[in-house]
Amino acid sequence: MTERPAPARLELLVRHDDESFEVREVGSSLAFVQSRPRRGLDGSFEVSEFASRVAGEQGFVLKNAATERFLVLSEPEKFLWEHMDGNTSLQELATAYVLRYGEFDFDIIPNLIRKLQRAQLLTLEPKSRLRQALARNRRQRAAKTVETMLMGLERIKIASRTVQPFFQRLHRWGGFVVFTRAAAVSCLALGVLGGVAAVALLRELDDIFSGFGGHALLGVLVVKLLFFGSVALHQVVHGLACVHYGRRAREFGFAFLHGFVPTFYVDVTDIFMASRRARVVTAVSGTLVHLVLGAVWFLIAAQAPVGSFTQAFAAASGIIQWQALAISLYPFCFIEVDGYHVFVDLLGVPTLKHDALSYAAALLGGRARLRWGRLEGLWLAYVALSTLSIAAFLAFNVWLVVRAIA
Amino acid sequence: MPAPADLLTFLRDVRLFTRFREPDLIALAESLRERHLRKNQVLFREGDPGDELFIVRHGSVLVSKAIKGRVEQVLDRVRPADFFGEMSLLDGSPRSATVQAEADATLLALNRSGLQRLTDTNPHAAAAFFSAMVNVFIERLRRSTHQVAEATRWGLEATGLDVESR
Repeated sequence: MTERPAPARLELLVRHDDESFEVREVGSSLAFVQSRPRRGLDGSFEVSEFASRVAGEQGFVLKNAATERFLVLSEPEKFLWEHMDGNTSLQELATAYVLRYGEFDFDIIPNLIRKLQRAQLLTLEPKSRLRQALARNRRQRAAKTVETMLMGLERIKIASRTVQPFFQRLHRWGGFVVFTRAAAVSCLALGVLGGVAAVALLRELDDIFSGFGGHALLGVLVVKLLFFGSVALHQVVHGLACVHYGRRAREFGFAFLHGFVPTFYVDVTDIFMASRRARVVTAVSGTLVHLVLGAVWFLIAAQAPVGSFTQAFAAASGIIQWQALAISLYPFCFIEVDGYHVFVDLLGVPTLKHDALSYAAALLGGRARLRWGRLEGLWLAYVALSTLSIAAFLAFNVWLVVRAIA
Repeated sequence: MPAPADLLTFLRDVRLFTRFREPDLIALAESLRERHLRKNQVLFREGDPGDELFIVRHGSVLVSKAIKGRVEQVLDRVRPADFFGEMSLLDGSPRSATVQAEADATLLALNRSGLQRLTDTNPHAAAAFFSAMVNVFIERLRRSTHQVAEATRWGLEATGLDVESR
């Protein structure tokens, strides 16, 4: 184990009015506790509240209005943040903390300061484990080639940060209809009709896919390509929802996620500052695009002649749209998709995936003991369900492709 | 007047003169000038002119560099048989730091003419002197590098700045 070095010390000579002087040793830890952190001026940040239904605690989202970065703060962290006025030293902060909570966690202040300084919690370009592994093996030509290729793809990013006026106009010129009760009822009705059609089609699945003739693989690829367009629509609806609730869509664009997953994206992180209802609607509304499109495709397939190319194409498109709907809404897949955001928002545990993976890794590495608290139970359930779900998803897709080709 | 025996004994412990022969030390001792400092007395300040190297014989002195207002950073604490001021001796540049006595101190001063005399009359001793000087320079350079790193660490720790995650 590497020993932590002792705090660094500076030897300073301080002169007095007469000829004399004194030498003072100032440790970095002393300087740290005497520093007086100052938070941004009023108006340069916003604070929004949420409640965790698992841990039974209050939480807060802090937004830096200048950098548009967000931080999740616990109630004690918010207490400390409010005292960071430039006049209160960290030592005094610690005292205030003890008086308020009757105990003191030595790590909370440095951790909070690191969080506040970092202010990079929400980034759209996380570095994946794959990229870390490639970087470690850069000496190998194959790894180097893949890494260079991924870096090249990652640089391909078509985005605009001035999309707010576009979304505002779109909302004004009819986009608001999407968020009416009538639209919700229509969507639901279409979903039911599509479901009925899908069940009917299931009975004739083999005949339906025979419509691709000898070009099943090509057909599936075209279906996938067309589906890609609906991902853009999915993101547009997210942006519309954000604007509908009076918040700002910060960016819209196309990029290669992790360097190899082509995707459209919209940055609606500003919705964190709105109500929970607004956040849930924003997350769910985008996925409903797949519900509607899937239902329409299934209805088309149901009306098309049995064994025709149109029926096969429509059925495959319907399946892929509803599969996207399921993936988007399903929170247990290690991916922070819409359903995950709704799930963690409803529970009030915004860092669920991170905490669950850290806990599982610590358990597997022997660095943590198995505990049976509510949070630990949630973490273990999340990891177990996500692992099973991914295995099931992969198995289903293999089955689907095999059926289509056969 | 011949150099006292205790002075010669002391000079043998000074790193600059360890390879000097007895006659070399005696000749050198004649070039040295003794100075006394009271506690807290300033010998010279940063920016002062100077051309002398000082060897601490008794007591200790502090070498400091101005930081802000009345505050200076202590760069070194020079104790008996160690020396300071060599940079101005060699290049005649103004003093790069302030030196003051931490306790009553006795110093031995070697000025540029004394060094010149040594170089002219005793090349062997001069070579030994400069060779030792280079070794001390290297040692001090290493120490300075370490001090810079420590000062950086101090700054990072004092501000709680999280650089690793940036």
